Amino acid sequence: KSCQTGKISTAETAVQSHTSRDAGVQTDQSKDAAQEFQQEVQMDYASLLSFLRRVEGAVIKELNKNWKSRAFDGFEVNWTDQNETVLCLHTLSYPEAQDQNLQVTSVSWNATGSVVACSYGRLDGGDWSTEKSYVCTWNLDRRGLNPQRPDLVVDVPSSVMCLAFHPSRPSLIAGGLFSGELVVWDTSRTEDPVIRRTGMTEDTHTDPVYQVNWLPDSKRRSHDRLLSVSTDGKILVWREERDGRLALAEGFAVVAQQVPRSAQLRKFSWGEAAVGVTSLSFSHFDPRVFVVGVEGGFSLKCSMAAERPALQQTGTSVPLRAPAELAFSPHGGPVYSVSCSPFHRQVLNLFLSCGTDGQVHLHSMLQPQPLLSLQLSKKYLFCVRWSPVRPLVFAAASGEGNCNKCLCFTGDVHLFDFEKSAQKPALSMKQAAGERPVYSLEFNTKQTRLLAAGDAAGAVRVWQLSSDFTEQGPREMSHLEQLAGEITD
Amino acid sequence: AEVEETLKRIQGHKGVIATMVINAEGIPIRTTLDNSATLQYAGLLHQLTMKARSTVRDIDPQNDLTFLRIRSKKHEIMIAPDKEYLLIVVQNPCE
Repeated sequence: KSCQTGKISTAETAVQSHTSRDAGVQTDQSKDAAQEFQQEVQMDYASLLSFLRRVEGAVIKELNKNWKSRAFDGFEVNWTDQNETVLCLHTLSYPEAQDQNLQVTSVSWNATGSVVACSYGRLDGGDWSTEKSYVCTWNLDRRGLNPQRPDLVVDVPSSVMCLAFHPSRPSLIAGGLFSGELVVWDTSRTEDPVIRRTGMTEDTHTDPVYQVNWLPDSKRRSHDRLLSVSTDGKILVWREERDGRLALAEGFAVVAQQVPRSAQLRKFSWGEAAVGVTSLSFSHFDPRVFVVGVEGGFSLKCSMAAERPALQQTGTSVPLRAPAELAFSPHGGPVYSVSCSPFHRQVLNLFLSCGTDGQVHLHSMLQPQPLLSLQLSKKYLFCVRWSPVRPLVFAAASGEGNCNKCLCFTGDVHLFDFEKSAQKPALSMKQAAGERPVYSLEFNTKQTRLLAAGDAAGAVRVWQLSSDFTEQGPREMSHLEQLAGEITD
Repeated sequence: AEVEETLKRIQGHKGVIATMVINAEGIPIRTTLDNSATLQYAGLLHQLTMKARSTVRDIDPQNDLTFLRIRSKKHEIMIAPDKEYLLIVVQNPCE
């Protein structure tokens, strides 16, 4: 027997759209979504009470059992592949800048964590004020990434000393120049990316700008003010005016005579201490408190709310105030970098400072003496940063200086883990061939395994850290508190 | 008054980080956390509790969910379910 389906009728037609339109879609920055919930929700008080009465006993029993239980001691679960090694994922550079012997002065990750930018300039002194420099960005998530070819290169007429991407708008990046100016670029604009600048006015810094930060504004919704520090001793806050100009909103000047001297530090002579500011870090717990590092070798705890006028007024449009509230015990040389810990529950705010004496000091903001002083290397330390995910980990970048072979750890990016050792680095990574210093490093807060480091050879290395540097252990916070508490006694 | 005292007793227990009560629709009624965290916990745990309950009943229709515990690296979340409400307690067990 055979069977066959009946005749199926078919027809062919073609369809083509002959008009089309392009439309772009983008989500706007979301307004704060949490809404007030009514505590007066229609509910029956009596039934709530009887519910709680019913469950209270069981819950308290479980809480007590949990508190005494040893069932989960040492029990750990691995959800991700344990990556045991630290790899250098990318070595990015801009050959034209390298040909001009320019160095990477600063690196920054953008708000989404997929773009890394670096600034080319010179940190080894000299009067390079007329030298052209570049700001380059690479999108690491893009396919066909060419490490030698940045996605965007911005020509800048003066040496760029520092960079900072906007914390929520992924295409805005601010830079501080050797000339003392600040510029903001919008990397999504194809023609002229410059959208704001301070220009050279009475208010502009008279020395190179070594660090620039975006400040949250008073409503805490957008970050639109910029803060800059410079070796002219001034810390200035800028806001955007309508014509794209950056105008001075407030300012501080650090003057040697106004540095608060604590009795314990009396033996240090403050009179001659240079107060050029090289670095700044905001406290993560009180947005008005910040720490600055100065050339004189000490760090200062400062407050945005300080009101005392500065002794030195340099004819700026806004009167300058003296910000310092507490001076910390000095390093043996200028401080190049400070970093406040993003993890700390109690009043003990921790921060790190490093400088040319090759030491890293762990400070609590409550006392002038450091909690811990680590001689990391004999070379200058240019940058120190806390890890955004592991409270006990930080990274430091070194290079230059005289190196006595015995104490000098080979390698230029050092990763420290207080859980493993409080004396020596857990890992040191050699960044550049030869003894080229590493000037800047930044952790990627969105892709927490990545660390970018820029060096004097003009390259940016993106390191992928192993899981033990990126996974927080269950008791780390209490470890950190213990460490801070132990040493203060 | 009595409701608050009961909740205070629970919150005061060793290691308890947060306590909250949500109703059958997943709307928070009482909480010791801030708004956005509460809403997050409430929404997510309400769904999880419903899923856990249907899992238990699918396996054995005569059975029902009495208690749900989630243990994570950092703490333990305990959920006491009921017809009209859910009690959620987050504890950091000492080890």
